[in-house]
Amino acid sequence: MPGTTRSITRILLLTLLVFLLQEGSTSSVHAGAPLADQGNASEPLVIVVNRSNPVDDLTFDELRRIFLGNRSHWPNGRRITLVMREPGEPERKTVLHEICGMNEEQFKNHFVHGLFTGEILVSPKILSSPVGVRKFIFNVPGAIGYLRVGDVDDTVKVVHIDELLPDDKGYKLHVQVPVTN
Amino acid sequence: MELLDRWLSAASRHNAVLLLFVVCCGVTVIGAMVIRDMQSANSEAQRMYKSSVDGLEEIGELQYDAQETRRTTLYALTTTDSNLQVEYADQTREADRRVRNGIAEYARQAKGPEEQALADRLNRDWTAYLNVRDEVLASILEGSTTEAVSLDLAGGVPAFERVRQDLNEVKRLFGEDASREQASLAESSRRSSSRIVGILSFTFLLSAAAIWAIQRSQMLGRMQLAKLQMEFVASVSHELRTPLAVIRSAADNIADGLVKNKESLIRYGTVLQHQSRSMGELVDQILLFASTEDRKRRVVLQPLAVERIMDVVLADTEALIRESGFTLELETEPNLPVVMADLPGITQCLRNLVGNAVKYGGADHKVTLRVSTSPGGDKSPGEVRIAVSDRGIGIDSSEIGRIFEPFYRSPRVHASQIHGTGLGLALARRLAESMGGSLSVHSQVAVGSTFTLHLPLAQGEDLQPAVDEGRPSRMSIT
Repeated sequence: MPGTTRSITRILLLTLLVFLLQEGSTSSVHAGAPLADQGNASEPLVIVVNRSNPVDDLTFDELRRIFLGNRSHWPNGRRITLVMREPGEPERKTVLHEICGMNEEQFKNHFVHGLFTGEILVSPKILSSPVGVRKFIFNVPGAIGYLRVGDVDDTVKVVHIDELLPDDKGYKLHVQVPVTN
Repeated sequence: MELLDRWLSAASRHNAVLLLFVVCCGVTVIGAMVIRDMQSANSEAQRMYKSSVDGLEEIGELQYDAQETRRTTLYALTTTDSNLQVEYADQTREADRRVRNGIAEYARQAKGPEEQALADRLNRDWTAYLNVRDEVLASILEGSTTEAVSLDLAGGVPAFERVRQDLNEVKRLFGEDASREQASLAESSRRSSSRIVGILSFTFLLSAAAIWAIQRSQMLGRMQLAKLQMEFVASVSHELRTPLAVIRSAADNIADGLVKNKESLIRYGTVLQHQSRSMGELVDQILLFASTEDRKRRVVLQPLAVERIMDVVLADTEALIRESGFTLELETEPNLPVVMADLPGITQCLRNLVGNAVKYGGADHKVTLRVSTSPGGDKSPGEVRIAVSDRGIGIDSSEIGRIFEPFYRSPRVHASQIHGTGLGLALARRLAESMGGSLSVHSQVAVGSTFTLHLPLAQGEDLQPAVDEGRPSRMSIT
């Protein structure tokens, strides 16, 4: 009987170990693995600001601070308003993964915690379409958001990231879009 | 008044229809002027009405769009959904665009410096409001509702109040402009009414004058006709009484046995024959004129050789020429053509002309018959001209137009105790015209007169002109 109990205990521990290993494998994919797979194509994702914004270039680190709400004002004193797409959109996933280094849950928890402690002043504005993002940024001088390069027009300004534009080699932000035949 | 009566008499002689035609033309022209005046006033009123309605509509739209710009901005305050806020932002910018277009249109149509200055001020105030609006909108989208309200209260409300006052000023100026135009239109309408009244009065007076003139001319015409008829009756009575008296006297002498020998009887018979023939000719003349008066007389046109016509005329007038102690000279061109004429008609016509030449021929006692041809041209057919000339008392130029009127006799003829019925020339002209020809006259007082009968050449007829080699081109009867 004690032998049986030990056997059952071993099986349970083994099952738990496999589960934990599988869970760890999934987390590592979410945290650092590239999102591209065989059925998707990539399109550059650009960071856009209001045309009146004097900022032309941002480092990746500055972007991370802005998108995590750790930086609240532009150099000209304007309040930074972060514009995000709705959860689940490929652009948002790219930004969370590439810039913030977080998944959706972590990002949400980060802002809940920041707003609660007062470290973050405003939560991101959620827009349901690229047109909405564009119009919002056009109307708000301190707004910053992201768009696929095909959705950009002259109502907004594209900023350099680490002095690179989408056409430059080494540009890091790319969104995975399904290939349509 | 005498001059007017003469003019009216002339009008009545020609045709009162002419006067009516002139009056109708005048009334038509005046009517056209009245209609044009009314159309002009009407179109001016329509233009003003349309301009007023359009202007008020544009101002109303401008005010509405300005309110819409502000309203949709404030609507964004009512939601926290960024997507909805962006929609409101779109709406406010669209309304703002319409307002800017409206202000630009108002500036373009500004009529004076006052309106131009107002347009500039409105544009300036609107731009100022839009600057505040943009800040308010940005604050709303950023989620800073309190800041947005503060900004709007501090800057938006006063800025929009200035815009509202500017728009009220636009409306006031437009109202003043419309009032001025209305006053101008009223003045124009008053002038137009005065013109119409004047024109209608003039038309009424013109019509009344025309009616009076027509009636007076007709009355004068009737009076003249009655006078002429009285003169005609008196003249005919005289013409008949003279031979009658001679006949009666001769008959009395014969009945009383005063005429005993054969020679005297023959002489009396000749007198009776001559006087009765004169009476017969006079009666024939009157009957012939009566037959032409109602246009019942039928003429039988036939190709006639001019030589034959002249032969008949010479034979008919030979006795008259001889008894009057006149000389008749005939001058003809050789190879005269054929004319279309009625033989009795044309001989009667020429007999009257020769008779007149004898009657008014004066002391020269010479009558000339001249026959010539005119070949005609492309537009006018050829004709034969038979001219009867005398060297008598002639006709005054003021009477030339009247000598062909029935019963007309010149006062000079009356004064000279020259008897006649006043029918000879009228009858001659009617006969000439009934044959498709005409009768013209050329005369000079104390020099003589020439009456020319124009007869058209026969067209397309097979009859050739008779060639009389033995006939002299010039002959005379004494």
